[in-house]
Amino acid sequence: MSRLAQVAALSAFLFAVFAFQAGAQSKFHEAPALAEQVKAGKLPPVEQRLPEQPLVVPVVEKIGEYGGIWRRAFLGPADANNYVRVVYDGLFRFTPDGADIEPKIALGAKASADYKIWTIQLRKGARWSDGEAFTVDDILFWYSNVLLNKDLMPTLPSWTRNSDGSAMKVEKLDDYTVQFTYDRPATLFLSEIANQDGPDQTLAMFLPAHYLKRFHPAFAPKDELDRMAQAASFKSWTELFNAKAAPAQDPDRPTMAAWIPITRVSDQVFTLKRNPFYIGVDKEGNQLPYIDELRFTYFADQQALNLAAIAGDFDMQERHIQMTNYPVLKEQEKNGKYRVIIWPTFGGSDAVIAFNSTYTADPAIGKLLATKEFRIALSYAINRDEIKESVFLGLGEARQPVAAPWHPYFPGKEWATKYTEFDRNKANQILDALGLIKRDPQGIRLMENGKPATIEISVVPAFGAWPDVAQLVAKDWGAVGIRTIVQIRERALHFSMRTSNQLMTEIWNEDTTAFPFTGGSKFDPRNGPLQQLTVGPLYYRWLTSGGKEGVEPPEPQKRITQLVDAARSTGRDGQIKAAQELYRIWADDVYEIGTIGLTPMVQGVVVINSKMHNVPTTLGNDWPLRSPGNARTEQFFFAK
Amino acid sequence: MTRYITHRLLLLPLLLLVYSFVIFVIIQAPPGDFLTSYVATLSASGTSISAEQIQALRHQYGLDQPFVVQYLYWLRELLHGNFGLSLEYRRPNADLIGEQLGLTVALAVMSFVLTWIIAVPAGIYSATHQRSVVDHVLTVINYIGVATPNFMLALILMWIAFAYFGISITGLYSPEYTDAPWSMAKFVNLLEHIWLPALVIGIAGTARLTRIMRANLLDELNKPYVVTARAKGLREWRLVLRYPARLALNPLVSTIGWYLPQLFSGSLIVATVMNLPNIGPLLLRALINQDMYLAGAILLIYSFLTIVGTLLSDIALAMMDPRIRMGM
Repeated sequence: MSRLAQVAALSAFLFAVFAFQAGAQSKFHEAPALAEQVKAGKLPPVEQRLPEQPLVVPVVEKIGEYGGIWRRAFLGPADANNYVRVVYDGLFRFTPDGADIEPKIALGAKASADYKIWTIQLRKGARWSDGEAFTVDDILFWYSNVLLNKDLMPTLPSWTRNSDGSAMKVEKLDDYTVQFTYDRPATLFLSEIANQDGPDQTLAMFLPAHYLKRFHPAFAPKDELDRMAQAASFKSWTELFNAKAAPAQDPDRPTMAAWIPITRVSDQVFTLKRNPFYIGVDKEGNQLPYIDELRFTYFADQQALNLAAIAGDFDMQERHIQMTNYPVLKEQEKNGKYRVIIWPTFGGSDAVIAFNSTYTADPAIGKLLATKEFRIALSYAINRDEIKESVFLGLGEARQPVAAPWHPYFPGKEWATKYTEFDRNKANQILDALGLIKRDPQGIRLMENGKPATIEISVVPAFGAWPDVAQLVAKDWGAVGIRTIVQIRERALHFSMRTSNQLMTEIWNEDTTAFPFTGGSKFDPRNGPLQQLTVGPLYYRWLTSGGKEGVEPPEPQKRITQLVDAARSTGRDGQIKAAQELYRIWADDVYEIGTIGLTPMVQGVVVINSKMHNVPTTLGNDWPLRSPGNARTEQFFFAK
Repeated sequence: MTRYITHRLLLLPLLLLVYSFVIFVIIQAPPGDFLTSYVATLSASGTSISAEQIQALRHQYGLDQPFVVQYLYWLRELLHGNFGLSLEYRRPNADLIGEQLGLTVALAVMSFVLTWIIAVPAGIYSATHQRSVVDHVLTVINYIGVATPNFMLALILMWIAFAYFGISITGLYSPEYTDAPWSMAKFVNLLEHIWLPALVIGIAGTARLTRIMRANLLDELNKPYVVTARAKGLREWRLVLRYPARLALNPLVSTIGWYLPQLFSGSLIVATVMNLPNIGPLLLRALINQDMYLAGAILLIYSFLTIVGTLLSDIALAMMDPRIRMGM
């Protein structure tokens, strides 16, 4: 695994490499279907469709062949991120190992010495999928008419904010050069824009102005917009605009991705075909993608999807494949239709028990949950080997929810395995020392109010095996005198209880440990219970109300907010130091008890058609990396 | 009679109004709203969304309005003949339902026809050959058919198809036809696939109908007119089909009225398990995700069909039975 490089320097280096390689190209090649269209005069020749300096995509195994349909499955419109991750249509993208950021649609980026000014260079001659030129105006359209439009964007996303809360400045230097100016150092700028590709109902930071102007009141008459909105059953122009600007909802909306939608995500089959203007080529000058078409088939039920995957109905699918099916898939692998590989999660722990340190419904329980020693005792009480063997098929390792050993943010082995050894005596000693000495006839420890100590674990069968983990944990905690009730809940109920501070503890996974400062960090208490687990919903209320409501967070939690702020304005070394300190706090104070991590539980069991090539055998697998998008899907191909 | 029907028809809008309110209350009853479900869905696939973003969406979708305001908004749209916009699909509900309607009805009609084609002859055979080996075999099959939940049967069939024939029998077409325009080939492909889900959905009904047909016919077979006809030398099969079988069918015919709403909702769980593109999974999904306007639209149509179906069977009953007719 390569070291994280200074990203700005890297971009400049790549810029030079690409310029050199593009210069060496004299001839480009294209898919046979496109060559026919060129011959028929329906498309300009490939040289004119590619930018002056195309993106040269390295291949994993070998130069591919054109053709084929990539069959995948999705679970309906709420699963639009399935599409987002496969095409990863961003100005920049994360590399396959997740350690670096590389230019994609953009040519490169450069920061000023103080990181307050960022300049992004675009590719001259790059085109939208409808053939229109892609220029700085498409970014400015997003900036002036979407980001700064109060109807479309009531609150600014945090990455666009200056220190005083206003929006950063975006200026056009020329058609292919755009400058972002902050009043603070924006050291995480590239990490942020590598994720501005239009995930979860948001809009990408570059939009086809020539197409979208007709749906925006700054360019189109208001009554005309109202008429269009009404015709589509929308209540307002903003709904219309958002629908038209989302590629998955509007097949006419041009994109920059390797494949472009020709049906909608609300259809039974969401079909994408190759983008004849895609900016990427392989090193022999073959325009990418190799694969002609992508088909996402709708499944109403995840089990039916898994059965179809076992039957070999998909060409490359990792999303929604349940890890519990891994042995069955391996068994079927012998038939030769497909191969199965695993991409372990990118750090963290795949089942953590989060403790609500601000639980108020029962003060005696709340006091225990907020006590660090109590959490440490319960961590020692868990037999992780048993969980690993019976729930995680023997894969992964016992660890606390901190960054992976191969990642620069790794706080050290001592913290990764802190309190993870199985030691029932130690657990009992700590609990006795806390004054939980008296027991009821069933052996359950009595709290200071004389009631038996009873904890509830709320669990959602989301990735499959968590209810089983909960049962094993409950048994282990019962053995040290803490009665534990497992509540399996419907997910929406679980989430609304988390938001309203009603959960005592919950089991979920702790991922995105490589991204504690960007996006919706799960470690920053200011992000609240929508993004964090239930580690302290009232801390969030205190921090966001300026101390008027909620509960004042303890020093370590406050320190985490300082670390996050510091990381946003320091260089790479400072970020690494901040992240390591953050994870030491996290493991020391056990806000969450980690069980087993680094398993392929989250979209890490990959079923690949035997004929499909160039799929990397190892991959950084996490949401901010947009896996499998960071595997550079445009170079996947089918061997004849 | 006319007065009775007019009276019932006049009641229809009022009933629908009451239903619309009840439906809306029930859909809103679970904690949270569509966006809570959306957040949960995202988390379950490894994504998170910020509180500000959720707030913006909640405002955009009007979910921050009080319950009554949301209901009145929905009602106003309904009165204009507009079923509203699906929160999840971001498309008009009428379009979504319309797209699925054809296949939903096709599947229901198919399973209905299969049910009758199998049940009526089997019932007749069982009755005329009472206590024969075939009768006993059919009886056992019928009991299993009634007792097995059909989604279970679907799962078993899917597993057998996969384990022994290496095929997956989900969906209604082969992949290459799913979004192809209608053609003869696609129609043939549909026929190749549709019989199995139709059979699975219809199997419990088939078993029940066979039992009813058998019992009814047994009652008729011992009646004097049958003995008389037989004594006069009428051929046995001709006799059975002409007189007692026709009478035995009457109670079956009166159940057709109930079939109307079922025709529309299909078999929700089977369709979900077998991944059939009909309204069943659409409704289930809308309910799970609290996509209230879509769920409301489907349930309202369902209520409408239930009311009309009941009315039709009442009319049929009134026409058949003078006692009910006179009492009006």
